Amino acid sequence: MLKVITCFKWVIDEADVKVDASSRRLILDRVGYKISLYDRNAIEEAALLQEKHGASIVAVTVAPPTAKQCLKDALSRGADKACFVNDPSLVDLEPTQTAALLAAAIKGQGDFDLILCGEGSSDLYTQQVGPILAEKLGIPCGTYVNKLTVIEGEKRVIAERKLDDCVEIVSIQLPALVTVLPDINTPRIPTLKQVLAAGKKPVDNITLDKLESPSEPGLETTSILGATMERRRLKFGAEAENIRAAVGALLKEGVIT
Amino acid sequence: MAGIWVFAENREHTLELLNAGKSLAGDLGAKLAAFASSTQLAQEYIAHGADEVLLLAPLAEDQPLESYVPVIADAARTEDPEVFLIAATPRGKEIAARVAARLNTGLCSDCSGFELDKEKKLLKMDRLFFGGLAVQTVMCTARPQMATIPPRTFDPATEQEGRQGTIKELPPAPSSGVQVLQRTPKTREAVDITEAKIVVCVGRGVAKQEDIALAKELAKVLGGEVACSRPIAEELHWLPEEVYLGISGKKVKPDLYVGIGISGQIQHVTGIRDSKVIFAINRDESAPIFEAADYGIVGDLYKVVPQLIEEFKSALKQ
Ligand SMILES: Cc1cc2nc3c(=O)[nH]c(=O)nc-3n(C[C@H](O)[C@H](O)[C@H](O)COP(=O)(O)OP(=O)(O)OC[C@H]3O[C@@H](n4cnc5c(N)ncnc54)[C@H](O)[C@@H]3O)c2cc1C
Ligand SMILES: Nc1ncnc2c1ncn2[C@@H]1O[C@H](COP(=O)(O)O)[C@@H](O)[C@H]1O
Repeated sequence: MLKVITCFKWVIDEADVKVDASSRRLILDRVGYKISLYDRNAIEEAALLQEKHGASIVAVTVAPPTAKQCLKDALSRGADKACFVNDPSLVDLEPTQTAALLAAAIKGQGDFDLILCGEGSSDLYTQQVGPILAEKLGIPCGTYVNKLTVIEGEKRVIAERKLDDCVEIVSIQLPALVTVLPDINTPRIPTLKQVLAAGKKPVDNITLDKLESPSEPGLETTSILGATMERRRLKFGAEAENIRAAVGALLKEGVIT
Repeated sequence: MAGIWVFAENREHTLELLNAGKSLAGDLGAKLAAFASSTQLAQEYIAHGADEVLLLAPLAEDQPLESYVPVIADAARTEDPEVFLIAATPRGKEIAARVAARLNTGLCSDCSGFELDKEKKLLKMDRLFFGGLAVQTVMCTARPQMATIPPRTFDPATEQEGRQGTIKELPPAPSSGVQVLQRTPKTREAVDITEAKIVVCVGRGVAKQEDIALAKELAKVLGGEVACSRPIAEELHWLPEEVYLGISGKKVKPDLYVGIGISGQIQHVTGIRDSKVIFAINRDESAPIFEAADYGIVGDLYKVVPQLIEEFKSALKQ
């Protein structure tokens, strides 16, 4: 049976982040969390492979223990088991550190055929963790994939990569890592039944004492400054006279000639 | 002598990176080196500022460009460059991440600009964070200091008279577990949206592909072009990918941006931040686009847009 590992990140919902206009500091007091948008496509792709080939799916994440609720979310989307690499220190990691921890945890899971990652995470969006993880595990890697086909019995996949100047179709030997684009599929919304079943699925709790300590970061963040934008923010209603007023205001701006 | 290295998948982006690396090479007293895939390009890069060219051996038909990763990483291990800049195309980003992993160094992805701390000889590199909600400044604590730089961040380097440089041949790329079966060149079907003075942008609030006609008509009346959000191009494929705006799409600076059924999430707003005037139509009063807009109409686009078309037509005497 095909063994699929899917890596997902639990991120701050960026819609909840506010910027303090004077200090340009980010205000993170009242933020919610979610599975990084494109990681849902990675999980969905695993679920599709499961339907087609009877694959087993392990969903892996590196996060602080407070992210525990992410497990149920990932499990309700189709994973059979979650692997939770957690420690209070595992916040604001650089991509090399995240990838090193993922590599160590994945090695502990035994054999696998395919690792799926999102194209990039919603918060950092470095698009690095996937390719670095492939290097750390010494396996081939295919990035920016929007179509994936497993060739049964041949230990390979055929992937369509969307690149700058062309679409490239490649054959990748398994075990391998693939990063998926959002247009590869449309993630399902979990049903109530799936949500309930998720609570009963197994979770591998991996604390740092079971892994080597995280590597040196390689990058140091010296500042984070929120972007601000000066806008008028004038709202009009949708009645005929409001629309006329809006058109008048726009014409006055002198940008339409 | 330490080196400033640049790698890009094509000539155009290599020249941009040569320009980016030139002043750094001066400030750090380092040589500027570029990777090239042919001796003809090698000569050209030397004429455009490279002191040294690392000549890549040709790939077999079925080898992807990423096969160069071990060759590039080995060269960096022996030559120990100080800075390594790579063009942030999809291939460039994969290559950069894998080379950084092999060299155990840090990589700043999608670096939008950098400044040299001359005392520490360290680059302070800027990149967007949280979809563009903030700018993160990073320094690389290992060597080489690596960054991927989006295409067209820098102007291309210009040609100089009588330049000399050395060419060093690199060994062929080993075969990998990835084999190319087919390549289909992308056809550019769309207008260059970054040139448009007025951009009418459609989002998922538009229910059917045919309804994009509404936006097209408004664009025609205003003398603008039609753009879209990422899901319209990449998930629904209703408009070409070259016209979606945002952090992973095109960044535009039109005089007027009109958003129709766009929620205004930060990844999209990042691409339109520099518009002179932002105007949005959305039926949800609390849609974030209104925070980013100068003018907004709260209402159903199917009712509002036809009226806008009529109003503009009569105001502009069409
Ligand atoms: C790493 C990353 C990178 C991304 N990069 C980009 C990018 O470069 N560009 C980009 O665009 N997105 C990008 N996104 C996606 C982005 O987060 C949003 O999901 C996307 O911009 C939403 O597109 P939308 O506004 O068209 O759709 P939606 O968010 O679905 O919004 C539709 C809006 O239409 C309104 N509406 C619905 N019906 C009507 C009606 N009849 N009349 C009026 N209004 C109506 C709704 O109120 C809603 O606000 C990225 C996301 C991630 C995680
Ligand atoms: N903390 C994490 N835990 C698990 N997977 C991650 C984590 N961070 C990143 N990833 C994976 O790596 C991909 C790219 O992330 P990034 O390099 O941050 O853009 C994501 O889409 C995930 O699949």
